[in-house]
Amino acid sequence: MHNNNIAVKITAVSKRYGYLQALKSVSLRIKKGEFLVFSGPNGAGKTTLLKIIATHISPSSGTVKIFGADALKGSETRRRIGLVTHESFLYDELSIRENLLFYANLFSVKEEDFLDTVDFLGLKRWYDVPVKQLSHGLRKRADIVRALIHNPDLILLDEPFAGLDTKTCDLLIDYFKSQEGTGKTLLISSHSLEWSKKICDKVVMLDKGKIVGEMAF
Amino acid sequence: MNIFWQASFRIAEKDLRTEFRRSYEVLSILTFSVGSILICSFAWGGGGVVEPEVAGAALWIILFFASILAFTTSFTREADRGTLGGLKTLPCSPLAILFGKIIYGTMLLFFVECVLIPFSIIFLNLDLSGRFPDLLFVCLLGAVGLSFAGSFVSGLVMFSEGKTLLLSFLLIPICMPVLLPSVMATKEIIGGSGITEVVPELRLLTAFLLLITAIMVLTFEFVLEE
Repeated sequence: MHNNNIAVKITAVSKRYGYLQALKSVSLRIKKGEFLVFSGPNGAGKTTLLKIIATHISPSSGTVKIFGADALKGSETRRRIGLVTHESFLYDELSIRENLLFYANLFSVKEEDFLDTVDFLGLKRWYDVPVKQLSHGLRKRADIVRALIHNPDLILLDEPFAGLDTKTCDLLIDYFKSQEGTGKTLLISSHSLEWSKKICDKVVMLDKGKIVGEMAF
Repeated sequence: MNIFWQASFRIAEKDLRTEFRRSYEVLSILTFSVGSILICSFAWGGGGVVEPEVAGAALWIILFFASILAFTTSFTREADRGTLGGLKTLPCSPLAILFGKIIYGTMLLFFVECVLIPFSIIFLNLDLSGRFPDLLFVCLLGAVGLSFAGSFVSGLVMFSEGKTLLLSFLLIPICMPVLLPSVMATKEIIGGSGITEVVPELRLLTAFLLLITAIMVLTFEFVLEE
């Protein structure tokens, strides 16, 4: 496989939290444009793997390359990554607009560049409402806009469908389906494949910190 | 402006905006500060002029405890609410995030000083006669020092259990190099000296700022790691 086609290259990555071995020598190559889901039971290491790819935590050993660059070096890599975790990165006291502008300014993005996404995800009506007044689903949608604000090439979603109603899940699936063929790479971490299989091409199964299988949908 | 300072100022602006939206925390710092000055004033008789060393010490004890209130929430709130992860997604160095917190802390403490000093002048009967800008300058420099120390310690303890207690305990020794010259300079200015006569104290304060900056540059990258 040619290196130019690789979005993420993980080589012998292990991660230890004190006595807990979260990942054990995980190696994986993810092609550009691939939509993939990491699945497995609780504590399998899905979130840890996603956080390492997102450059949020460093591995105890092994290497991670994002689009050919060392994930541990340089904030420039983060310009190409959009991350949504189960925790919201939005500030309760600020409105959706203020939150998004805070992130947009730091990525040198103008407001008009992300208004389409705000509209697509049905947030226009809530745009000036403080985040603390929003429901879980609306907050999740706003967080997804925040993660995509800088048009990242690599989108990482940790349990994106957890706690959402069917309508919101369908809306998110429609949105991510619209991103297929744009060259973006999508990695989802989820213990349930019910929703993820509607958008992903492949599932990588994790258990006890190891990759135990791969399967195409 | 390069990305480092742009990120720092944006983070500081965001923090100030959220702090003043949740106005009860700023109000609690102001209530504590003004209330303490009033208690000191009543306890010391109210009418007479307070000795410069007593007034200087009172002012900095109040500012120190106000800074503990302010820095308890600096990084800790980001870690508790999960928004620290958002800051880590930004295309800037961890040091830019820390400087954002330092700018925010300095502005918040300076705001508190701007309220506290006039109250001190009135209720402690301080005669500054034209040296108000000198006192404000010393207080600003002290606020910068407290912010450097407070923000750094707040970052260090944010993932610990009992972080509030740890922050208070750690701030006392770490802030000593800020508090001692600040108290001495404040005492001199209240006692009638000009800014040129407190240069040695200001030099000591500046030396501390340089030292803690060097420590932060060398270590803060590892502090943000969970």
